[in-house]
Amino acid sequence: MRSLIVKLRQWIDELLRSENQLALVLSLVIGALVGLVTVAFILLTGRLAARMYPAGGAGWRRILVPTLGSFVTGYLLWRFFPLARGSGIPQTKAALFIQDGKITFRTVVGKFLCCSASLASGIALGREGPSVHVGAGLASVIARNLGMSREQVKAMVPIGCSAALAAAFNTPIAAVLFSLEEIMGDLHATVLGTAVLSSATSWMVLHLVLGDEPLFHVSGYRLVNPWELAVYVALGVVGGLGSVAFVKLLLRLRLWFADLPKRTAWFQPVAGGLTVGVMGYFVPDVMGVGYSYVEKVLNGDVILQMVVLLAILKIVATAMCYASGNAGGIFGPSLFIGATIGAAVGEVAHHFFPGSTAGPGAYALVGMGTAFAGIVRTPLTSVIMIFEVTRDYSIIVPLMISNLIAYFISYKLQREPIYEALARQDGVHLPKSGGRSQSEGSLVSHVMRPASSALSKEMTVVEALDRIDRGSPNDGRSIVWPVVDQYGLLGTISKAQLEAAATGDSRNQRLVDLFREALRHNPAAGELPHVHPDHSLHFALERMGSGSLEMIPVISRANIRELKGFLLLDDVLHAYGITRSPGMLDLPGSTDRQRSPHDRA
Amino acid sequence: MTGRESAFSKPSFLRTSVLTIAGIAILFSIDTFLASKERSESRVEGQRLYDAGQRLMQQGLSVDAENQFRAALSVARDNQQYQLALARALTAAGRLSDAEANLADLLQRDGTGGEPNLAMARVLTKEGRIPEAISYYHRAIYGQWKQNALANRMQARIELIDLLVSRNEKAGLLAELLPLQEEAPDDVKTKMELGRLFIAAGSPARGATVFRDVLREKPQDPDAHDGLGEAEFATGNYRTAAAQFQTVLRFRPDDNNARQRVEICNQVLTLDPAQRGLSVEERYRRSRKLLDLTLNDARPCVSSNASRDLIDTAEKALKQRVPASRQGPAYESNLDLSDQLWQARKTECGASAVPANEPLSLVLNRLAQ
Repeated sequence: MRSLIVKLRQWIDELLRSENQLALVLSLVIGALVGLVTVAFILLTGRLAARMYPAGGAGWRRILVPTLGSFVTGYLLWRFFPLARGSGIPQTKAALFIQDGKITFRTVVGKFLCCSASLASGIALGREGPSVHVGAGLASVIARNLGMSREQVKAMVPIGCSAALAAAFNTPIAAVLFSLEEIMGDLHATVLGTAVLSSATSWMVLHLVLGDEPLFHVSGYRLVNPWELAVYVALGVVGGLGSVAFVKLLLRLRLWFADLPKRTAWFQPVAGGLTVGVMGYFVPDVMGVGYSYVEKVLNGDVILQMVVLLAILKIVATAMCYASGNAGGIFGPSLFIGATIGAAVGEVAHHFFPGSTAGPGAYALVGMGTAFAGIVRTPLTSVIMIFEVTRDYSIIVPLMISNLIAYFISYKLQREPIYEALARQDGVHLPKSGGRSQSEGSLVSHVMRPASSALSKEMTVVEALDRIDRGSPNDGRSIVWPVVDQYGLLGTISKAQLEAAATGDSRNQRLVDLFREALRHNPAAGELPHVHPDHSLHFALERMGSGSLEMIPVISRANIRELKGFLLLDDVLHAYGITRSPGMLDLPGSTDRQRSPHDRA
Repeated sequence: MTGRESAFSKPSFLRTSVLTIAGIAILFSIDTFLASKERSESRVEGQRLYDAGQRLMQQGLSVDAENQFRAALSVARDNQQYQLALARALTAAGRLSDAEANLADLLQRDGTGGEPNLAMARVLTKEGRIPEAISYYHRAIYGQWKQNALANRMQARIELIDLLVSRNEKAGLLAELLPLQEEAPDDVKTKMELGRLFIAAGSPARGATVFRDVLREKPQDPDAHDGLGEAEFATGNYRTAAAQFQTVLRFRPDDNNARQRVEICNQVLTLDPAQRGLSVEERYRRSRKLLDLTLNDARPCVSSNASRDLIDTAEKALKQRVPASRQGPAYESNLDLSDQLWQARKTECGASAVPANEPLSLVLNRLAQ
């Protein structure tokens, strides 16, 4: 016995010495734990929902329960778990790229409890995004408590994500792909092996507890006629447009809610609950995640008017629930929206070409992937996910075509992916997929200069010039000054611009008015060129070059109004071993070409 | 563990490990408990919905039943019984392609099940896809049945036989009847059915054997006499057939079918020149009668030159007075001429112009064998 303990201690010591080995073991442990938590989440939500909506229950319940549910969870979210709102995907990405993989245990608990309650009450949101957040959070908590390094903690986050999604959707392959494609933004990420391990473990746990059942049972569908592909192309177009409509509506509604007074924040989710309740009173299928209705549609049980109505209602209900601050994701609703859109297209096509087209169920199946690709923008994941969700391989080619078209249309009409746009609305700049792999080599954080003392937005041009003359930040070489308000960085302005303004009629104009005037002339002027500390110097150089900038502000990813410092072109060049001659600095217009409010106008 | 940063405190590895493992154990227990509760509740709810669906099916409300079965299936999705019931409801509601899709899914999971194969065979039969339906009937017959395997297999085979009878596929029918004879229970009802099917399959001799077997058990059964009469009639044993039909008439004097059969048999027996025990003169007389009837039957519709020649020859033969010494060869010649005229009539007037059970047709067909 004693020798066994000694051997165990030795093994643990060895494990602790190698973080890679520890990561491998942890991927199994996290896979099992997250799988069990997700299964508990699914079962708990289902049982709660069954209690809240007993068979043959009165219609008024459908109004009262979601309203009350959103009221209670809204308060809990506002008071105790502010980070547990929404789907959890943007929060997970923010944690991964900005907060060094840190997600608190409190957020995990809040997400679990609030989502269980709100989804059970019939809120038209999904359980998969929150599961991902919970999974990532558990991975983060365990890794941090085990004392792993910052990088290893970050590496654990996608492991938790893939484990959660594998159990939530019963899709182990798509879960890994999603973690790499969406969360990491890099299909060649080094966490591939551990993500696969955790996903497989979680999936096994799911099967152990709930058995081997796909999310949807679908009759076998096939391409009836090669010409039918044209209908699938049309479905891709309609699905893409539907996805864009949903995303734009959600983002606009969210902005509208954000503009409401802060004191109403805890009450805002009730708007979503009430909306879905009123809709659900007349059309019960709009409530909840709606997977049972999706299965009906997938099996060809389609009434055209009903699926069209449900597609519209679900878009509005989900956008409203999410934008108002309820806890829940958009994966499930996007499948619902896609299935109903697909069924509608399929029903019309089958009506006109009954001999050459499959039934509406086949189109509903493809429609699910189409909406997922259009809304979530992960085309590869969506194809594999639909295959895994239905275990139907026969319709994979039309699915790929439709997905690609929907993805393309969505990209053209709504450039910013939904999760990045949501994060941006929260003042968080998530790294773009292409930019994430640039964080190797020299970083902006290595070269940037600290933020200098700033100019207040209330200063006049003359006061600002006086201030600049009195103190010269950045060793006297700074050519622009940050202008701040009570929330943080407002913009930048150079001495040359101030001098130009001082010679005109704007001597006594406040700096904030100078900015406003510029914005009036050109709304795009509000987009301040900037880099983040984790950007590579190469990326910063490109951005400075594209804007002919000598200096670019460095701002926080977590809060885009937080000025971290400045990056000077000379410093970047110096980091590459290049020194500019003084003449080069004095090239005509070199300083004047800084982006100023006036230039933007 | 190198490279740790101060932001991450150095915690107890052991404590975290123990907490994690304890969490896994507790969660596993909770999940298992919740899942078992869920399963048992789903089972009860599914059964309730299934029973409601079955009641609706019995009332002929297949569309409402379909909804109940769907609901049952949504709470217990791996239940093959519910899915089968759904497929049956869809079939009854006329949604054959949906029923087929459901059954295909069911069969993909278990291709050997007798019930889904039989249901699929029924759907395909309704869709008119007979060769595929026959294939599924065979799978049902040789598939696995959870209960009453023998009776269910026989039921499937009888359905297949009915299908083959309706399509007049005699070879396939006989191939199904022979094993059925082995498997069938030893009761009178089944034997009677079997006997009739043997007649339909073109094997009246086997049918006659079955009916004789029944008559040994129940000599006073008019149905058995009727069946034996039909079997003998089909075999061409008109005398025996007439005797059986007359027995039937003793039991059921109002049986018009038996009466007609007796009449036909008597007509055949008085017309047939090839019967044993007839004198040469009688044979010749009957052959002339047969030629005369055939000629009258063919004359209105045959038109080709060859047929006209045959009619001329027949008319000449009928006008001739044949001495007793040459009646033997003349009898043969008349039969040959009758047969040629009958074949020409079949070709030029259509085989359906004369019912198969007309005495003339029966005699000529018998002579042609």
